[in-house]
Amino acid sequence: MAKLALSLPKRGRWQVAEQSQGIPVARPQATTSSFWTAVWSIVWKDLRIEQHTRQTLSVMLMFSLVVVVMFNFALSTDLDAARQVSTGLLWATIILAGTLGLNRSLSIERENQTIDALLIAPVDRRGIYLAKVISVTIFTLLLEVALVFIFTIFFNKPFWQPAALLVLFLGTIGYVAAGVLVTSMTIQTRSREVLLPILLLPIVLPLILPAAIATAEIVSLQPQMDTVNSSISLIAAYDLAILAVGFFSYPFLVES
Amino acid sequence: MNMTRLNRTVAVLNVLAFLSLLVSIGFIFLYAPVERSMGNVQRIFYFHVGTAWVGSIAFFVALVAGILYLWRPQRRWDTIALSSVEVGLVFLTVTTAAGSVWGKPAWNTWWEWSPRLTLITIAWLVYAAYFMLRGAIEDEEKRGRFAAVYVIVSFVSIILAYVSIRIWRDIHPVVFGGTLESAQGAEQGLQDIAPGLASMRMGITLTVNVVSFSLIYVAWLMNRIRLQLLKDQVTTLKMRVAARLQGG
Repeated sequence: MAKLALSLPKRGRWQVAEQSQGIPVARPQATTSSFWTAVWSIVWKDLRIEQHTRQTLSVMLMFSLVVVVMFNFALSTDLDAARQVSTGLLWATIILAGTLGLNRSLSIERENQTIDALLIAPVDRRGIYLAKVISVTIFTLLLEVALVFIFTIFFNKPFWQPAALLVLFLGTIGYVAAGVLVTSMTIQTRSREVLLPILLLPIVLPLILPAAIATAEIVSLQPQMDTVNSSISLIAAYDLAILAVGFFSYPFLVES
Repeated sequence: MNMTRLNRTVAVLNVLAFLSLLVSIGFIFLYAPVERSMGNVQRIFYFHVGTAWVGSIAFFVALVAGILYLWRPQRRWDTIALSSVEVGLVFLTVTTAAGSVWGKPAWNTWWEWSPRLTLITIAWLVYAAYFMLRGAIEDEEKRGRFAAVYVIVSFVSIILAYVSIRIWRDIHPVVFGGTLESAQGAEQGLQDIAPGLASMRMGITLTVNVVSFSLIYVAWLMNRIRLQLLKDQVTTLKMRVAARLQGG
């Protein structure tokens, strides 16, 4: 901690010295605030791209619809069975559609080689990770808004309850945090999209299991709050742990 | 470590591991008493716990090697991590197979999706995917880096899963320091067997098995590391031959 406090003003001085040689530019110094400026500008860029192309979200949504319809078809002989498994189905749909969103959001940078520009930019690379997590989380949350609506209608269960939404929110953060990390690896390999599900899904299972259990409990007729609470703390622990691992190990994945 | 010394170490370890396995089998069948409620089938317990123990140690070693690789990218850390995951996966498979054989008479089923068995499945999938990741990357340095990051992420994920299964009640008994879970299980009548440590002789047999499986782990790890070094040598030699042919 002491080391950090010492290194920050040093960095600031270095920047000032550099600027005083040329024309003084109003640039934020390399401090916490500039870190977040970078993060938000990357998030903003991703949202703008999505606003213009509408590719990620529409693909995720269409895919989810196909999955829901397919499962409905598979379970149509037994409507009660379909209701029973609907929470598991909700999470399965989210993680499967999520892999599409992750692949899309990270490969778009590779296709246009904008990732190189991001890496050259004087931005902390951990900031790139955080920005990607935030933007993909936003996409996935938007997808979940639609899914909650669809599932409530199709399966007649109260998925819109605040507790269920909280579980969805927390679960999405952990899922995307692990997802951005793993996708950053897989898009740099030979097999690319094929590799992502087999690497990512087992890693997020410890998150999805309590999330699905908690969701099922919340939408059931007599929810047991013990189970819900312990599941939510497990999900939160997963979020924090994976975010921390991702935050510190992401720079190793984009070295060039 | 130079190759001749490594060869000698590996040879000694192989003999030691083989002898310790004989000793532990002797302990299991000749020394350990017959368990009261389950009979002879309980003797699987010693192999089951011994291999499970080594499995967790192996993945922990891989985690440490992964962290060291990111800190100081040297080839040997990557080799150790790879070897340890490979050996660990074998032990995990043996644990599952032994547990399944035991589960049939004890629970009247080969497999049960209980939290702990689900955890083992997840762990198996996670570490099997490790080899998929390695196989998909050609560049050696990049492969080491990615594999190291992956090993860290997967260990964290498995630890969290381990914490979570301790909360839910389970058909599977707890051997090492599980008070909460086993108490809950006993309350629900899930565990009529306190797994075998009631007798002193059983405790000694278990200890012997854990030690001997640890020895086998070390022996296999060294064998695997030696294999990797030989592989690297072959690659270097091939490259030199190719260079010579092109040059001449």
